[in-house]
Amino acid sequence: MKKIYLHPLPVRIWHWINALGFIILILTGAQIRFVDSMGLMSFETAVQIHSWLGFILLINYFIWLLYYVLSGKLFRIYIPPFWRPVEFIKKSIKQAKYYGYGILIGDKNPHHPSPENKFNPMQQISYLMIMGVLIPLQIITGLILWDPQLFSSLSSLIGGIQIASLIHTVLWIFFSAFIIVHFYLATLGHTPMAHIKAMFTGYEEEHEEH
Amino acid sequence: MRAIIIVGLVIICFLVSYLLPLKEAVSDDTKSCLRCHGISTLKKTTEKGDSISLFVDGKKFEKSVHGAMDCSSCHPNITMKNHPIPKKIYSKMDYTKESSPNCLNCHPKDTLMKNKAHGELVKSGQIYCSQCHGSHYIGSIKDWKNKVSFNEYCMSCHKFDLSKTLPSKEKVSLMVNEEEIKKSVHGKFQCIVCHDDFSKVKHPIYNFKDKRQYRAEMTRICTKCHTDEMLRKNPAHYALTKTASCIECHGAHGVKSAKVVKALPENQYCLSCHSRPLTMKMQNGESLSVQVKENEILNSAHKKLKCTECHKEFSPTQHPVRNFASINDYRAKAKDICNNCHQDAVKKYDISIHAEAYKKGNPQSPECIKCHDYHKVTYISKDKQAGSELCISCHTESGKAFKGSVHQQAVLQGKQNAPNCVSCHNSHDVLPTNIAKLEDSCIKCHKDSKVTHSKWLWNPPIRLTSFVDIHFKSASCASCHTNTDKAVFLTLVEKSKGKPIKEEDIAKYLNVDVKEVRNKIDQNKDGKVQQEELWQFMNLMKDRAKATLSGRIDVLNANDAHKIESKDKAIKDCAFCHNPNSSFKAKIEINKEGAKPVKLETDGKVLNSAYAIPNISDFYVLSLTKIKVLDILFILALLGGIAVPIGHITLRILTAPIRRKRREGK
Repeated sequence: MKKIYLHPLPVRIWHWINALGFIILILTGAQIRFVDSMGLMSFETAVQIHSWLGFILLINYFIWLLYYVLSGKLFRIYIPPFWRPVEFIKKSIKQAKYYGYGILIGDKNPHHPSPENKFNPMQQISYLMIMGVLIPLQIITGLILWDPQLFSSLSSLIGGIQIASLIHTVLWIFFSAFIIVHFYLATLGHTPMAHIKAMFTGYEEEHEEH
Repeated sequence: MRAIIIVGLVIICFLVSYLLPLKEAVSDDTKSCLRCHGISTLKKTTEKGDSISLFVDGKKFEKSVHGAMDCSSCHPNITMKNHPIPKKIYSKMDYTKESSPNCLNCHPKDTLMKNKAHGELVKSGQIYCSQCHGSHYIGSIKDWKNKVSFNEYCMSCHKFDLSKTLPSKEKVSLMVNEEEIKKSVHGKFQCIVCHDDFSKVKHPIYNFKDKRQYRAEMTRICTKCHTDEMLRKNPAHYALTKTASCIECHGAHGVKSAKVVKALPENQYCLSCHSRPLTMKMQNGESLSVQVKENEILNSAHKKLKCTECHKEFSPTQHPVRNFASINDYRAKAKDICNNCHQDAVKKYDISIHAEAYKKGNPQSPECIKCHDYHKVTYISKDKQAGSELCISCHTESGKAFKGSVHQQAVLQGKQNAPNCVSCHNSHDVLPTNIAKLEDSCIKCHKDSKVTHSKWLWNPPIRLTSFVDIHFKSASCASCHTNTDKAVFLTLVEKSKGKPIKEEDIAKYLNVDVKEVRNKIDQNKDGKVQQEELWQFMNLMKDRAKATLSGRIDVLNANDAHKIESKDKAIKDCAFCHNPNSSFKAKIEINKEGAKPVKLETDGKVLNSAYAIPNISDFYVLSLTKIKVLDILFILALLGGIAVPIGHITLRILTAPIRRKRREGK
């Protein structure tokens, strides 16, 4: 059994704040949207929690960004090797095959994470999109909806507050579905709790191959 | 005692009478009467206190037309046997009235009616025989007629307070004040100079319907000397003669020289005619009073002004004749007079909805005069209630709505900063409410309202007034501060400038008549705009005018905006608006030139339709305007998210034997 230090402390703190924040944001978002049919809390409370958490995750995002930029790992971990596209696509297909077929017939995970190469190709492309595009977009549209007057120029830049709201809502829908799948995928380690534990301890256990 | 005195007097009279020389012409009966009544000091005091002389001058009586008659002919009730009787007489006039019927014994009414004018007098009973003819010394009428001047002849009756009631029930006085004539420019005239159809033997009877006809006919008398040709020399005066009768300004008998009038102070000069009920005829037949009540001017804000300071083209020497199409036309031009001094107010008025409506020919719409009146022009009142009343006299519904408001209470309590109509709507630059920026009027008084609102209306973690701003921009103050029905108003505006597109412009863009614009939006003409209809209309407008719909929440019925409640009753529940199930109606509002906007009933679903994203791009109210199709997408995404693990787990369970075999095979 090999232990790899995959998740440094700042990343783990960021992840869990983000996880909790995301779940509550999704729920309060739903409460705001379904004010007429959902009774978790009042509209006012939902808005207040949503706004507070929005700003907490905004800061959290920058903690993540700062850590990865300063540690120099951002490029290595998040950017797929676009200079080796064929190899990357092959690897991606292999990874997809694994989740769709290999895992069922007892194949080994083709990807072996290391601190320098944490994500499999599918994770890499997903997280780059999420961290590089979708979360910033969600933050920006969230800010527009938080104070449309203050961010009116930003709003007109993206085509009006209706567009901002549309983006924010579509991303909310995406994240709601994503978080379920994400949670399931987290249970697909060598034991169901392996990846989850690793997110607390930082160490991913990997069976040594013989 | 009284009886003894009377009996004594009679005896003395008898004794003395024998000493009086009496002519033979007088009858014995008369002689015996004159024994007492020939004493010049004989008199009687009436109950009222006036004195009646009982003296009859025998000589003069003898010469009168009745000189040969017995006293008893006219005084049939008095005989030597019953006279003197102590008789109570209330007044001299009473006695005249009582004794006049005795004349009718010899002069029966029929005879007296032969002369029509005389007949009228007798019939009316206004004056008694002896008042004109005297009592004991009545001369021959024929002699008298020949002897007296015309004026004396006429005045013998017309000095009395005679009057005539016309069929219109109006009363015309026939009394003539001789002194007034003497002082007039016609002082030396005999009556018949003017009244030439009258003479000592002719007295026609006129049958005027009313005073107007009477005055018109009398005017003919004047034009005999003051001919049309002469009057034409002064065109204004000439024009006046066509609308007013001479006597209305100049009087009937006390005619004064025009030169005297000109010497008067200017206002008095004008008022010498205009204080009378003069009217001016408009081309359309309307009649406008040009009477000016002096006391109204003296109580007005213009009391120190001369007439010609406003009516610049008029002066004691100039009185142009003007022609107006209608009273409306006249009133519109009156604004130019006000503009001489009140340019600011007129400039503001010119951009108002009142001016626009007036220009369009709405007779209800006010210009200067409708509110300020012609000459009454009052000082700006400090009484705010009185100020409101003026507006309410037309805007009754708004007045009713304002009545229960917290603002009206403040007005009634006499609070200095209490608002009335003009505080919010302005006095002259009254704009249509959808472009008047009435919210600014609220903030004018409620200066710290942004800070006050930000105490509770804020979005964590930072308290910003911009968050209040966006709410102020999207919802009218009345939306939360009145307990009334609300609606979302969607106004068609130019996308770049946000300027409302008027109905007239839409008609031009769509190349249709203004009346057809409504049908271009509500194509199925069911009185409600559905989302598909709006989509089609907006596609047309977006291509041609780069239009979009701006939105705001406001009271459904504009008048309800006046019903502002006290602060504690204001809506503070965010979910009142931020709720897809709110009871808000939706209206499409299209501005009109100089009039209230057109409001089209709209299906509320347009706000929650995907079509709203491109068409109502700048109006977004959290939850209220949510795009419903995204809710379905959310549910599908959740189901999909759950389906992935379930499917995958199922496959894993199903494939577990394969994995087990592979492991065991190793």
